[in-house]
Amino acid sequence: MSILIQQDRCNGCGLCARSCPYQALEMLDKKATWLEDRCTLCGACLESCKVGALSGEIPTREAPDFREYRGVWVFVERQGSGFHRSAFELLGCARGLADFLGEDVSSIMLGADSDDKGFNELISRGADQCIAVNHPALGQYRTCSYTHALTHLVLKHRPSILLIPATTIGRDLAPRLARRLKLGLTADCTRLAIDPQERVLLQTRPAFGGNIMATIVTRYSRPQTATVRPGVMKPLDIDSTRKGVIVFEDVNLPDSVDVTKILECVMNIESATNLSEAGIIVAGGRPICSEQGMSVLKEFAEAIGAEVACTRVVVEEGFMSTDRQVGQTGQTVRPEIYFACGISGAVQHRAGMDGSRYIVAINRDPDAPIFEIADVAVVADIYQILPILTRTIKDYKGLSITC
Amino acid sequence: MTRIPRPTAEEMIRKTFARFTDDEIIPKAREMDEAGKFPRWMFEKIAKTGAYAMRYPRKIGGAGGNTTQFCIMVEELARGSMSVAAFTAMQCLMGTNFLYQYGTKDHHERLLKPALRGEKVASFALTEADAATDLGGAKTMAVRDGDHWLINGSKTWITNAPVADFFTVLCQTDKTQGLKGLNFFLIERETPGLYVSKKFEKLGTRATEIAELAFSDVRIPLENRLGQDGQGVGNLMRILAVIRTMTAALSIGLARAAFECSKRYSLERTQFKKRIGSFQLIQQKIANMATEIWGANLMTYKAAEMIDRGERALKEASMAKYFASETACRASDEATRIYGAYSYSMEYDVQRFYRDCRFLLFGGGTSEILQTIISREEGVY
Amino acid sequence: MKLVVLIKQIPNTSNVRIDPKTGNLVREGVTSIMNPEDRHALEAALSIKDHFNAVVDVISMGPPQAIEVICEGLAMGADKGILLTDRAFAGADTWATSTALGNAIRKNGPFDLILAGRQAIDGDTAQIGPQIAEFLGIPQITCVSALELSDGKVVANRIIENGCERIETPLPALVTCLASLNEPRYPTVGRILDSVLESTPIEIWNAADIGVKAQEVGLAGSLTQVLKTFTPKGGRETQYLEGTPSDIASGIVQFFVDRQVRLGE
Repeated sequence: MSILIQQDRCNGCGLCARSCPYQALEMLDKKATWLEDRCTLCGACLESCKVGALSGEIPTREAPDFREYRGVWVFVERQGSGFHRSAFELLGCARGLADFLGEDVSSIMLGADSDDKGFNELISRGADQCIAVNHPALGQYRTCSYTHALTHLVLKHRPSILLIPATTIGRDLAPRLARRLKLGLTADCTRLAIDPQERVLLQTRPAFGGNIMATIVTRYSRPQTATVRPGVMKPLDIDSTRKGVIVFEDVNLPDSVDVTKILECVMNIESATNLSEAGIIVAGGRPICSEQGMSVLKEFAEAIGAEVACTRVVVEEGFMSTDRQVGQTGQTVRPEIYFACGISGAVQHRAGMDGSRYIVAINRDPDAPIFEIADVAVVADIYQILPILTRTIKDYKGLSITC
Repeated sequence: MTRIPRPTAEEMIRKTFARFTDDEIIPKAREMDEAGKFPRWMFEKIAKTGAYAMRYPRKIGGAGGNTTQFCIMVEELARGSMSVAAFTAMQCLMGTNFLYQYGTKDHHERLLKPALRGEKVASFALTEADAATDLGGAKTMAVRDGDHWLINGSKTWITNAPVADFFTVLCQTDKTQGLKGLNFFLIERETPGLYVSKKFEKLGTRATEIAELAFSDVRIPLENRLGQDGQGVGNLMRILAVIRTMTAALSIGLARAAFECSKRYSLERTQFKKRIGSFQLIQQKIANMATEIWGANLMTYKAAEMIDRGERALKEASMAKYFASETACRASDEATRIYGAYSYSMEYDVQRFYRDCRFLLFGGGTSEILQTIISREEGVY
Repeated sequence: MKLVVLIKQIPNTSNVRIDPKTGNLVREGVTSIMNPEDRHALEAALSIKDHFNAVVDVISMGPPQAIEVICEGLAMGADKGILLTDRAFAGADTWATSTALGNAIRKNGPFDLILAGRQAIDGDTAQIGPQIAEFLGIPQITCVSALELSDGKVVANRIIENGCERIETPLPALVTCLASLNEPRYPTVGRILDSVLESTPIEIWNAADIGVKAQEVGLAGSLTQVLKTFTPKGGRETQYLEGTPSDIASGIVQFFVDRQVRLGE
């Protein structure tokens, strides 16, 4: 089996190279070239060619009939007595998908003592149905207990889509569940949509550190399962007129299901900086790595009521704690305004902040990639700009600017 | 079972020490330079990679590596910091070589093996105030006194002297014999009569400490003479090709560092609304640097290969050292021109390359003496 | 004690980019490295070996050149390497990958602890560890920042949002490791020179060797498919502000006044 390229027909448009998820086609001297060792014979290139230059025998695989699987499920994560913010974000996203499909949204909550108050909040944020399991063994998250309970629910109700937040818990649970139920699983999605023709879930996620986005489909298993990065999807506004049903389910959960013991759980609430809820973020890069730099940055942040944040290098140099790091390996934020001060804008950093409403970038290097995604670009030294900007904003105080 | 070729040892050594340099040395290079002190923590970090034992056989705790592999390692280290590469080279080669070759079992157990593990610091004392290129002019005397040697005199420009635990010292035993009257002696730091001066204030390689040694009736056992009587210079000649090839490799490392930052800056910096890399005079500098580094690379690793085959390679090593060290100096000079006034700022690394490269011009023989040697090897003298 | 460490060879993502003209992945200058968190997993295993009588095996799945990371693992101190390589493994999603690795671990024999990095930085899925634990039917602890072994059990600190759990589980088990767990050692020169010799054990296994059919692994055995890939783009109109620092400061404030966005408390 191979991909054949008819050189005289190939017009060098490059569509096939762009369509190939495995980079197995390259343009050489304006003609497509096939790299056999990278090709997985997925067939994406064959569909892309407009001039019929590509041919090949692609093994076909029949997709089973999944029509009996219906409904969009959201696994909601509790936090203290309330919910992790991802719960509402995922419900908002699920609502859109379910409306498109003409199906229902269900929230799935596992716990020891869930009560009705929480359910109303889930309904007002988009759920049609709240499925809950109360069991003493589910009071604290443990991988195997939760997997066991969720497996039971999925097998019983057969949803077509299952969304799980890409939190530490979600990323521990989802793969375990997927392996048990033989489900395809896409991690850390930042965009979800339904393909209008095939009616499958299009799951888009960053790969290669955010350099590449990949859209993934699950054709051979149900529910189509994805973890969704917190801070990316938009929650719906609370609508208390929304109606929904609450269903309590029983699960048989013997002790032998989970052999792990949680000996201790330490929450460091004090340092819990919640960057994700900040309206304005002032973030610094390498140039602020000094006492002077930190004070300039903090004074500015204070003047505009912002949280300070930083790039990875600032954490490594010991000037800020990890919970203030924005980026691929840190927090994902989407504030109203993001000030990037002396940040070059490596993709790893951009992955954590490019959803910000407005981005102001100040950097000495005119070619810094951060300018590509900035609304306001200032090519200058932050030490020249920030102190004066701080003063200018202080002078503005009292002047009422509405939100 | 399928057979798949494994990577070569050379590839793996380059990759390992390239990563070590990028992750451990480069982030700390400026700090080490500014502190102007021997970074013992870095010395110990390198020890954990087994670097100091690289050249020695397994039976004494070495790795059994060859000259090519050794050169690759020091080249990568020099890309991060010439100071670090310089004290590593001292520990791997000059500081330990004679002790390994001619030391007693006790010397090996007590000093050499700990040195290869990075628990003791080694040093090598050749140069004197009036005897540098002219080794025969050495005035430090070792006189037999019963069952001891009595040593008097002084040495200067001794790398690692302020921190070393033992020294391999070149002394005269018989003034009438000229070069044949020279021998190496092992002198431990705690020996009474050995004095180490304050460290020198110097232009470059500021994180290697260099000082003077003075010997006043230093009394050492007879077995501390390393090698047969009168063989000192002869034994030195045996590793001279290795020393020069290694210094060439250090030069390539520094030249690459200067070249990489020049390339980066040429693509970043704009003037007249263009990247300066789009100007032909900058392109010329980049092209010359690249070409010379390539040439130095070919010469150096060819010489290393010859040494590994057991050939003398003195001419080839001298040529490599001469060309590579001059290449490093030209590359760091060109880098300062590409950086313009910023190269004059202590904030940028270019100034460090510019200062450090001077070290390469005399360590392992000056360019001038090397030219003399090359000409002599060609039969013209 | 038998420890198995899963390692992956990945392109160094800090220099991966796509040529905007051709859409090709630019491979020139892209080096392959051992996934950083896997290095921490291997260090954890080696430091257990430093204190207990343990044997450490490293396993990797990838193209033939992934033998480089196996050698690197041996050079760090592992006792044996296993490379799973077969055209049939290509294009695998995490389901098919965990099928192959799970079968290989099973074939390799009994073990006490499996260690892996939390996630590989080319895919960032963090799925392989838990999926293998499920495949083998053993408990898992993910995102581990501290690890102790004693009396047939493992106690680990697992980092969660805003906190840390201390979890105990009996062996055999699987843990996935964070960078904060330890500082990995570098390969030593002596071990590097050994690792490239044929006498240092590396086993090369294909699909048949681990007893799986080609349809169960690789793209054919995957439950998800990559439909397309594309380069993300900013899509903002950038407004450059120039002039004196005061001009720029006023410009920034004006920008938000114009858009009725509130600056300051």
